[in-house]
Amino acid sequence: MTERIGARAGEEIRRDRPISFDFEGRSVSAFEGDTIGSALAAAGVTITGRSFKYHRARGLYCMTGSCPNCLMQVDGIPNVRSCIEPVREGMRVQRQNAWPSVTFDVHGWLNTFSFMMPPGFYYKIFHRPRWAWKTVEPFIRSKAGLGTVPREKDHDPREVHNLHPDVLVIGAGAAGLAAAAEAASSGLSTVVLDERTTLGGGEPDEVAGLEAEAREAGARILLGSAAFGVFGGPLVAAAAADRLYRIRARHLVFATGAVEQGAVFPNNDLPGVMLSSAAELLVKRYRVLPGRHAVVLTSGERGYETAATLREAGAEVTVVDLRPQGRSATGFRVIAGSTIVAAEGRRGIREVVVGRPGEEGGATLPCDLLVVAGFQAPSTNLLAMTGAELAFDEDAQAFLPVSLPPNVHAAGAVAGARSREAAEAQGRIAGLEAASALGAPNADAGDRLERLRTQAVEGGDPIVLPPEFGHGHGKQFACLCMDVTRKELKTAVAEGFDSMELLKRYTTITMGPCQGKACMTASQRLCSRATGSSFAGTPPTTSRPPWVPVELGTLAGWRRTPRKETTMHDRHADAGATFMWAGDWRRPHRYTTPEEEVEAVRTGVGLIDVSTLGKFRVKGPEAVTLLERLYPNRFSDLELGRIRYGLMLNDEGVILDDGTVARVGEDEFFVTVTTGNTAALERWITWWNADWALDVRVLNVSGAYGAVNLAGPSAREVMSALTDADVSAEAVKYLSATTMDVAGVPALVLRIGFVGELGYEIHFPSMYGEHVWDAIMAAGEPHGIKPFGLEAQRILRLEKQHILVGQDTDAESDPYEVGMAWAVKAEKDDFLGKRGLEGLDAEAPGERLVGFTASGDWLPPEGASVVHEGVWVGRVTSARKSAAVGAIVGLAWVPAGWASDGTTFEIQFGSHRATGTVAMHPFYDPEGQRLRS
Amino acid sequence: MTFLIECPNCGPREALEFSYGGERSHRAGPEASETDLAGYLFFRDNVDGWQTEWWAHRDGCRAWFLAERHTKTNEVRRTFRPSDHDEGATDVNVGAGEASQV
Repeated sequence: MTERIGARAGEEIRRDRPISFDFEGRSVSAFEGDTIGSALAAAGVTITGRSFKYHRARGLYCMTGSCPNCLMQVDGIPNVRSCIEPVREGMRVQRQNAWPSVTFDVHGWLNTFSFMMPPGFYYKIFHRPRWAWKTVEPFIRSKAGLGTVPREKDHDPREVHNLHPDVLVIGAGAAGLAAAAEAASSGLSTVVLDERTTLGGGEPDEVAGLEAEAREAGARILLGSAAFGVFGGPLVAAAAADRLYRIRARHLVFATGAVEQGAVFPNNDLPGVMLSSAAELLVKRYRVLPGRHAVVLTSGERGYETAATLREAGAEVTVVDLRPQGRSATGFRVIAGSTIVAAEGRRGIREVVVGRPGEEGGATLPCDLLVVAGFQAPSTNLLAMTGAELAFDEDAQAFLPVSLPPNVHAAGAVAGARSREAAEAQGRIAGLEAASALGAPNADAGDRLERLRTQAVEGGDPIVLPPEFGHGHGKQFACLCMDVTRKELKTAVAEGFDSMELLKRYTTITMGPCQGKACMTASQRLCSRATGSSFAGTPPTTSRPPWVPVELGTLAGWRRTPRKETTMHDRHADAGATFMWAGDWRRPHRYTTPEEEVEAVRTGVGLIDVSTLGKFRVKGPEAVTLLERLYPNRFSDLELGRIRYGLMLNDEGVILDDGTVARVGEDEFFVTVTTGNTAALERWITWWNADWALDVRVLNVSGAYGAVNLAGPSAREVMSALTDADVSAEAVKYLSATTMDVAGVPALVLRIGFVGELGYEIHFPSMYGEHVWDAIMAAGEPHGIKPFGLEAQRILRLEKQHILVGQDTDAESDPYEVGMAWAVKAEKDDFLGKRGLEGLDAEAPGERLVGFTASGDWLPPEGASVVHEGVWVGRVTSARKSAAVGAIVGLAWVPAGWASDGTTFEIQFGSHRATGTVAMHPFYDPEGQRLRS
Repeated sequence: MTFLIECPNCGPREALEFSYGGERSHRAGPEASETDLAGYLFFRDNVDGWQTEWWAHRDGCRAWFLAERHTKTNEVRRTFRPSDHDEGATDVNVGAGEASQV
């Protein structure tokens, strides 16, 4: 059982602020400033999880969020890196990947049967007998994966923040803060990102001075914000707890540091084996001593520092130094020229074998903690995503950036610095270079730069790495995430997967939750040994986002659905309307019953809100030319104040949309298009206008104008009560566009009739919506006016066989097929679709859209099949029950030869059958008397 | 995938604010041959390199304009209004030897 050691300057825990949380049903006490990992370590929990494949016990290893060992389920969220996750009062924490518990995991037997699970084992075994795989697969699947996906909503929506600083610094270590201080003091807007919520390693004033310098200079330091990818642009994406940052900077400084690497020897994954980062942070920041009998493996100063830290905290320490001479030290024993050959233990380390590098056997040393110290892999991943090139550096024994894209800088450990001094100098140089490239004045930069360049050279001793692997019984892990061992890598290479990229795909090394942070060096070196190559000849695998884990919710952002309401929406709601989606719009589906509403329109008067229609004003000396080219119809002869139905085609001759075009001035037209097509049609029309470079302005006034359609035999009486203007049949003819005041509001009144009755489509400034609606409803009251919804409108238009583009037509429908050859003025010089239609025979299309009536009560759904002698030959696109006709009426695609009155055909859907009878003319008022009246 | 595009009216904005209109092709008019018509309707140059293409600032000023973008790097080196197109200049994606493009 470990416990807190005495207070020390620089510790992060607030002993005066206790916190308690739930850990697998028991209460664990911690302090503010603790992470889950440190609190559990203080509580004596040494096993933080079970491994992915073999269910081996694992403990705290890095304390920096760089390995998979401490992933836990926290408040329902899986795979939280508990070593860096701050404790919160009352949080619920559970370990993963073990049943019934991590301490006693029944799947520990998998470790014993690991010989059955070589890399790619699912390709190799359980193939014979044939039933074997079917039996085994569900079991394997149930064992695969990490954590449990939460079923409930697990977080609040995340925001997206876009930042455009002059300089973005990634990493707030010495190099990053120095770069930020220089850039900001040169007057550049500077942002610094760091994944950590606390900077420094637990020593007072470690980077505090630099942090203060950067902040005072005006740099914005975003802690707890992890850059996880660099994308084209370059765009840097970073995740914070509640938001996604998208950052475009003019200059990028990568001060991403390095990730400490472990050593490979038998049982190198036992709890109690950890990196010096973990030992240092546990002792200095959180005051937890991870072991009383410590062995430190190192080849440089870092190990001796850690040894001193542990010694000071009360541990008995032995340093194993790879260098032949080692170094003298007081307070602990040094074994020079040696390495760790193997480790032993079951649920934690018990002893290590210390021997000569590359040789078998050695002296046994009992211990409860083994610290691997000072082997660094520069975090070049984000840098590599910018296109930076890496090359092997002998002194650093690592791949370092050798060429950088323009406006990209690297400083600190990522660029090969191993001392604090070199890192800081490199950071300052990067900041100054960015400032100078961006034209910021900096008087003494010349002299300073020279001085800094001398300091920036890393003059430390060359790195000596431990042997690629150890000797003895027990698994030697390269990859902790996916449980890939040295032996498995050897096997994979022998099978022909003899490069890092192939090994990655076959064995999944570097592909796990840590994305290669903890295993890249070991994988590269084991690969190079197995292939007979060298470390220098085995570069790391390609870097791809995400470099740190990102929750899907952060990428998904806010879950928001656009929702549009017309200015009369509240009136509909007050009238008891049920609403439906029409694109982004909420439109009344019905107020009472569709039948009642249809009845009102056919016998009295009805009112529908059609504000959602797309509306354009097309104005300019060449407006006629634009319309003549956009539509197959003719508009040059359209008289002022007249309206024409227009069909819009693309150049293949396919119907895009339909609507009305009203001439409201010599050079001005008012154009309506289908609700759902408005945005696309706006782009279509303005695109052609731009391409043809016509002197025309196209203005989308869809939102500016509200509109209602007043329709029914009594519509004229209602109109005359609303306006002083003459609305007689002679003054306001069918297909006329008239400007008049309606209910005191200036309006454009279009006499058109989608529903097949005398009708007025009244367009007016949308802010008057409620006033106009109320006035019309009041004026219509003596005539029994009823508001009608989309469902009634659909019945009404079907009785007239008016098509809905997109509902009744598809991406292949041409005007001839839908019986609108009359709209095509093929003799015009040019229009969109002219050449496409020339290839078609107007008289003999392949299939036709026809009206039909159907027998019986069954309403064929949209998409029901039209069948001929058991073969599919067409489909129903719309059908509704019509009271006026006394039958089902609809539209359907049928073979062209059937397009004559009275042809019967069979409609099928599932077990349903009906007989359709073709009707080539509107069912209701076929002569169109009523809408012209 | 996203990058900045300099709208001739609004300045540099996120590509996500724009609608892509495809490479600038030339419409086969009433006199064009069948081959040219088919080329215009169904074929694109799909260049690997600099391309003149249409963009509309959908969430901004709504204007259509032309951009020269590198299809591999997404670098946009120039944007301009159709009316600003140099007289007599050819689009960068229409080179010699590509006779199918009018």
